[in-house]
Amino acid sequence: MSGQRVDCKVVMLGKESVGKTSLVERYVHHRFLQGPYQNTIGAAFVAKSMNVGGRIVTLGIWDTAGSERYEAMSRIYYRGAKAAIVCYDLTDLSSFERVKFWVNELQNFEEHCRIYICGTKIDLIENDKSRRQVDFHDVQDYADEIKAHLCETSSKTGHSVDELFQKVAEDFVNYSDFQVQTEPKGVDLTQKRDLSSYSCCHH
Amino acid sequence: MASDVHENVERHPGLTPLSSTLCADPDNQRSESPAPALTQGNEPGAAQDEAMFVHAQSYEDLTGEVEVPLPQSPGPEGNVEISSMEQISEDFSKLSTQLSVSSVQSIEQNPEEDTEMGHEDAASSSSSPEGDGGSRVLDDWYQHQKHVFVLSEAGKPVYSRYRSEEALSSTAGVMMALVSFLESEKNAIRSIHAEAYKVVFVRRSPLVLVSVSHTQQSEQEISQQLLYVYYQIVSLVTGAQLHHLFQQRPSYDLRQLLSGSERITDKLLDSMDVDPSFLLGAVCCHPMIANLRDATTYCLQQAKAKSLVFSILMSNNHLVTLVRKKDQYLHPIDLHLLFNLVTSSSSFREGEAWTPVCLPKFNPSGFFHAHISYLSHKPELCLLMVSTDREDFFTASDCKRKIVERLEKKGTWTSLKEALRNPFYDVTQIGIPELRHFLYKSKSSGLLTSPAMVAPYDTDREKRRLVELYQYLHGRAHCSARPLTTIYHMGAHENILAWVTEAFELYVCFSPLGTKSSAVNGVSRLLRWIRKEEDRLFILSSPTY
Repeated sequence: MSGQRVDCKVVMLGKESVGKTSLVERYVHHRFLQGPYQNTIGAAFVAKSMNVGGRIVTLGIWDTAGSERYEAMSRIYYRGAKAAIVCYDLTDLSSFERVKFWVNELQNFEEHCRIYICGTKIDLIENDKSRRQVDFHDVQDYADEIKAHLCETSSKTGHSVDELFQKVAEDFVNYSDFQVQTEPKGVDLTQKRDLSSYSCCHH
Repeated sequence: MASDVHENVERHPGLTPLSSTLCADPDNQRSESPAPALTQGNEPGAAQDEAMFVHAQSYEDLTGEVEVPLPQSPGPEGNVEISSMEQISEDFSKLSTQLSVSSVQSIEQNPEEDTEMGHEDAASSSSSPEGDGGSRVLDDWYQHQKHVFVLSEAGKPVYSRYRSEEALSSTAGVMMALVSFLESEKNAIRSIHAEAYKVVFVRRSPLVLVSVSHTQQSEQEISQQLLYVYYQIVSLVTGAQLHHLFQQRPSYDLRQLLSGSERITDKLLDSMDVDPSFLLGAVCCHPMIANLRDATTYCLQQAKAKSLVFSILMSNNHLVTLVRKKDQYLHPIDLHLLFNLVTSSSSFREGEAWTPVCLPKFNPSGFFHAHISYLSHKPELCLLMVSTDREDFFTASDCKRKIVERLEKKGTWTSLKEALRNPFYDVTQIGIPELRHFLYKSKSSGLLTSPAMVAPYDTDREKRRLVELYQYLHGRAHCSARPLTTIYHMGAHENILAWVTEAFELYVCFSPLGTKSSAVNGVSRLLRWIRKEEDRLFILSSPTY
């Protein structure tokens, strides 16, 4: 891992065991690990570069622990994030209630962070429709209201996972192109706000 | 069985001259002090200048500073008076029968059976009346060798090693009643011994830790393990937060905050049953040529940052090297907890993790942040960097990058990987006939060395049995009522010689065919070998950034 430069800080949020780590695992390593549930401890960072219309964008993804124990610390993980993927389990209504908590938190502390609401484990519903506990249209209404993007994914099958991160990267490029009219490309204007997303030592 | 062993254990006067023969050894350059014994600080494996760890004397260190549960009570050695024991015996008999399954009736029914059989019988007969799956699950629960419970002072369950909180809710009440009953008499309950069972209590406000076990372990060792569990919990939430939460609300349910961490505590308890480094309160070193270790250490030293306190390389629970900030010392217990954290979760295996962690022996009041990443999986090599600044992830990440670059550039990486392939050395290379295995701890450095467990200790069952024997002898050697410095234990399967001095602790396992005099001879040759190899077996310097 060479001196990576992160263009876009992305944070994964959501109740524990909704599958944030699996989502990252699927996107970064193209795999789905079976086996007993392993909760994340603290947070894990991974960087991945992707091509958006000929431009290389590096996403720095923070996969946070869902456990309440780390809640007080969560700000250090989402501070300065350009995008937050807030996850819920389609088969667990209570996990959607947590989405509202995180959205509130982000709206209060990180107003420039774009929000992506992500339902997980859709493969479970495809097998058995009765397991769905969170209605798509209800969430769509909520997402429209807070101007968030919504998708339903499966880390097991890979359904909509790459598309979600592609969308995050595209939005980042479009948004920063709009912002960065006069600056040469690649310089992060938000440096002042977001010291922690730089890997080079400048202090 | 216990009494059998007891017969064979003796204070062996014949061993006393051993230390003088040893110290007169001309090869022994670093210990010029004459008999009677090596002094602490120049035993094999002692650090050359300064120790890496906070000075730790095994569990004397742990048990020595047990909080006095009630400040106003002087605590008369914690010995429960007989009269109070009688008063509580009725309460306890309920607890005991519930937990041990060996109900009074079943023993009466099968008086000719030995207790071990009796337990199993009782288990099956007691489940037959209900006959449903639920009670069988509960029966299995009762069968475990060592239960560990953590409760709040209000009696709320915090942790149970084998879960099953339904079963716990009724016993928790009894346990708390026992604790508070004796406290009202300005006493502290330490343990209850009944049949083959030991119930051990450790009170660390605001938590009460209880173990119910039928193993060979001594009470002291069990309370040491309970203290480890306490420290484990503190390392997750900090001591400050723990006290604050219960001060605000004595009925607080800590399980919420600890959710997801059960696995870490489970792993700790499982490791303590099989890994002698916990028993000895010492850190296992990965054997490595001194030059290679120095070169590796140098790479860690060069990647420094203001907020970094410790940089640690670990492979399979063995310490490869540790670099520390000047004047800051890690405690072996904190290092054990860090190792346990890393190995108990697969979530660290990919990418870079950044997690708050409290090092309870270093400072229980706040969190450090640990940067955890694997530099290699096969062979395993994990880098841990402990930082004081929670915002400094990218600084730590950059240090990691520098370390990897430097290791690769200097060619250290290839030889390091080669050296990591086998964390253990073979006992036969020492060339002592009948020597099968040993544990050697240098007290001043807090480091431990031990060869691979080879046949006949190559099955889990036999490994476990050997560790249990070590535990038993350790318990005998450190028994506060009657400590022993030398023990020669003769068993059907092996003979073990235990030798505890001011400077080191040594447990040596010989084939059962050997004699006592050949064992004594073997030990002195072994110590010479350890001295000769000490710069490979141990980390003799204590590098800082």
